[in-house]
Amino acid sequence: MTSLDLLLSLAAATVLLTLLAGRQPWGGWLATLLYAAQLVVLFTMAATGYEGAVVQSAMQFTVLGLTLHWALTPLSWFFALITIGAGLASSAFASGDWGRQYAAGGGSLRLLHVALALNVASMLLLLCSADLLGLFICWELVSWASFLIMAIGGGNAMRYALRYLVYAVGGGMAVLAGIALVYAETGSLAFAAIATGLPDYSATTLWTLLLLFGSGFAVKMGLLPFHLWQAKAYAETPGPGSAFLGAISSRMGLFAILVVLVQLVGLSRIAGLEIPLTSLDASELLAWLAAFTIILPTFVALRQTDARRLLAWHGIGQGGYMLLGVVIGDALGSAGGLMHVFNHATYQAALFFSVTAVVYRTGTGNLDRLGGLVTRMPIAFVTMLIGIIGLAGLPPMNGFVSKWLIYRSLINEGYPLLFLAAVIGTLGTILSVYKLIHNMFLGQLRLEHEQVREAPWSMTVPMLLLSAVVFVTGYMPGLVFDWIAPVQAALGLPPLVYHLGGITTAGGNLDMLWLVSFMLVGFGIGALIFYSGGRARRVHQLDNYAGGHFLTAETRYQYSYNFYPALQRLIGPLYRGSFQWLESGLVSMLDLVSAGAQGIYRSVHPALYLLTVLVMVLFFWVVN
Amino acid sequence: MDWQVLLLDIVLMPLLAFIVGLLMVLMMRRVRARLERRIGPPFFQPLYDIIKLYGKDIQISHGFIHDLGIIMVVGGYITVEMFLPVPGFVGLAEKGDLIALAYLMMVPMLGMALGVGQCANPNGSIGISRALTAMLGYDIPFVLVIVAVAAMYGTTSLPEIIAIQQQGGMATWGVATMPVMAVAGLITTHVMLAKEPFETYIAPAEIATGPMVEMGGKFMGGLFVVQTFQVYTAGVLYVTLFLGGGENWLVFLPKIFAVVFIPFAVTIVFPRYKAGEGLLWVWKWPTGIALLGLALILM
Repeated sequence: MTSLDLLLSLAAATVLLTLLAGRQPWGGWLATLLYAAQLVVLFTMAATGYEGAVVQSAMQFTVLGLTLHWALTPLSWFFALITIGAGLASSAFASGDWGRQYAAGGGSLRLLHVALALNVASMLLLLCSADLLGLFICWELVSWASFLIMAIGGGNAMRYALRYLVYAVGGGMAVLAGIALVYAETGSLAFAAIATGLPDYSATTLWTLLLLFGSGFAVKMGLLPFHLWQAKAYAETPGPGSAFLGAISSRMGLFAILVVLVQLVGLSRIAGLEIPLTSLDASELLAWLAAFTIILPTFVALRQTDARRLLAWHGIGQGGYMLLGVVIGDALGSAGGLMHVFNHATYQAALFFSVTAVVYRTGTGNLDRLGGLVTRMPIAFVTMLIGIIGLAGLPPMNGFVSKWLIYRSLINEGYPLLFLAAVIGTLGTILSVYKLIHNMFLGQLRLEHEQVREAPWSMTVPMLLLSAVVFVTGYMPGLVFDWIAPVQAALGLPPLVYHLGGITTAGGNLDMLWLVSFMLVGFGIGALIFYSGGRARRVHQLDNYAGGHFLTAETRYQYSYNFYPALQRLIGPLYRGSFQWLESGLVSMLDLVSAGAQGIYRSVHPALYLLTVLVMVLFFWVVN
Repeated sequence: MDWQVLLLDIVLMPLLAFIVGLLMVLMMRRVRARLERRIGPPFFQPLYDIIKLYGKDIQISHGFIHDLGIIMVVGGYITVEMFLPVPGFVGLAEKGDLIALAYLMMVPMLGMALGVGQCANPNGSIGISRALTAMLGYDIPFVLVIVAVAAMYGTTSLPEIIAIQQQGGMATWGVATMPVMAVAGLITTHVMLAKEPFETYIAPAEIATGPMVEMGGKFMGGLFVVQTFQVYTAGVLYVTLFLGGGENWLVFLPKIFAVVFIPFAVTIVFPRYKAGEGLLWVWKWPTGIALLGLALILM
């Protein structure tokens, strides 16, 4: 039994034990401990993550002559680290006071923990699968596990989860078709055999493969035009669940793209696929899809009035950066894309936690009904501040480093317009996250929130720890590059040359150790200058300029509704809901077809059809 | 790099920026006064204003984030100055490039937004909403300028950009090699400095000076300090990218003053755009010119 077997059996044990002990008050903490144990086991295989050694699993199945087996590669190690980390944080967050409130409100905490454990376990299986059939089976497993955690909320959540399921099943079928095609061409589903067989594929086959696998995996990633399901489904999941989903779940799509399209097919082969009648090739097409995935969901997020939906929409947009970096495929870009997976997981989970903490205390995540909470929930505010700086990609947080790498690679490789698209996404994110933090924590504190207190420690500790990770990996990005360089090597991408503080390249360096240190020095000087002035007196929020009027406790003196009216006047007409329209069109068409089919086989002598089929079956049976 | 030299650099660079920035603010106020047929303030007035504001008896704070916001604005710009190479001082410019600098310049903006947010005054929040909207406007041509510069010089490192222009002489200056981009850059600088007709987020008669509405005493003083940094940074950045930097301060100073003189001089003839109209104008003109310039460079 290898360490990998230990890890997988621990993950399975977590599912079982949460199922058994989920009703106990300590059930959640047990699950948290088990995730921690998984993390420890993962780190006993640090040689994989840091040096690239592959750990095989003893587990094997043979189905229809195809052997399924599992192995831990540097790529799976990196993603497994994020998955287990996100599971650990979410489980810890859910186990204390939040869980008690959730259970008191009629939710089944056991179900939530089981669903979480199932998600982690199935994702680990997916991450370690070493052949296409195993990949597909685990892919479906992950889809159903995600469905389970999304559907827990019931009501609207169930509706959105079902919508996800339709997308996921469709995507799964595309992947299955792709696998069938590979099997027909190569006669094997083992990665090594496919890699040797691939050079013989014709361009048409490669295109078909790219479209089938690409669209199948894109569904989970929420890549345009398959993004519609994601935000609502994630936002309706109970707090810690949405943090977990937002952190890692949709990255499984990116993982599959990395394994199949980058590692097996190879970026150079994709770049060799010309699109007829244009000067684009397939990899540029992917890059532009990624760019649109950055821009459109970001500007949809800008319009959201629910904090969790806003974050979930940003999650889709940030996925675009990851794919963009990976598709560019040079050392800087792919490192940026991969690092962004980690970075996004850390700050997105922290942000969801912060929002969940506010919902826990105030009962609402509606951005038009909050405000001024910074004086009541300072830790939640700090978490959100660090999170949004990371999400917006500003120094000194880790999101800046990964985005900087992507920007540099876009400039180096000569894609100015893609660079512009990436920056527009960042600017839109800044607008949107400021609205988020302003409407929740800044501005006027509402009368009904006067008595709100800080979230309890069982929630603030995971929040602060995650924030610390966001800052430290921004300060010392080399810590994350240590995991990324082996992944790049394993995927056949040029590995990044780096040091603890960043990278040194011809044509522009980044050293976060210096940048962040001197930012702090700058802030220190700023503070010195500030406190050298006269002593400031704190005033009440109603002691405020109101054009000659006096403000009373009843006066609503807050600006939160329709936060960017000037911008919305300009770009508002561009929100046409084209994708919604497309989706509903497809649904209606399908409805029509199925109704038509039903009409035929149900209204005209169903017995006759049955009899015909039976006779034919009998006939063939007899003839054979 | 010798650490004593470095230390001296990073202490002197913000200080120099402050002093030169004060002179630029003085110029701004004098130019405006002359165009309005006034004499304008005396030489030390910008400095006196700041000292007066810091020394005021009544200082109103709306909470810790209000304080922190001002600290972040001033501190953020001090950091920016450390990364901005000027004649004789390289500072930390080797540790971050133009892209990093562009993003570093958004940190003070964020600080400002946070500080104003806690004031709980809708005028301030509207101001920030407009300021961020404006940023979505001017940062697009600015980014195109960055791309063009990177394509032209093959680097985004500021010291290298300066070195390339100084070795090649005036013919290799950005303004000669990419004149269309230089025009776009100049317009963008004007918009960035929020001079009329783009001062939508200050709009005194409309939203009571927007972000400044609850600022007094040292809070306002901090913003005055930041104004000096802002005009200085805009001038230095433009000279670095398009006018070959400067071999020494005697050459450098006239250049940066000339650059900021242009927005200061033309601003007075304009009224104010509505927030959306200004944005549309920026998306049309400087962005359009920058795209044209980029196309010329890439061809």
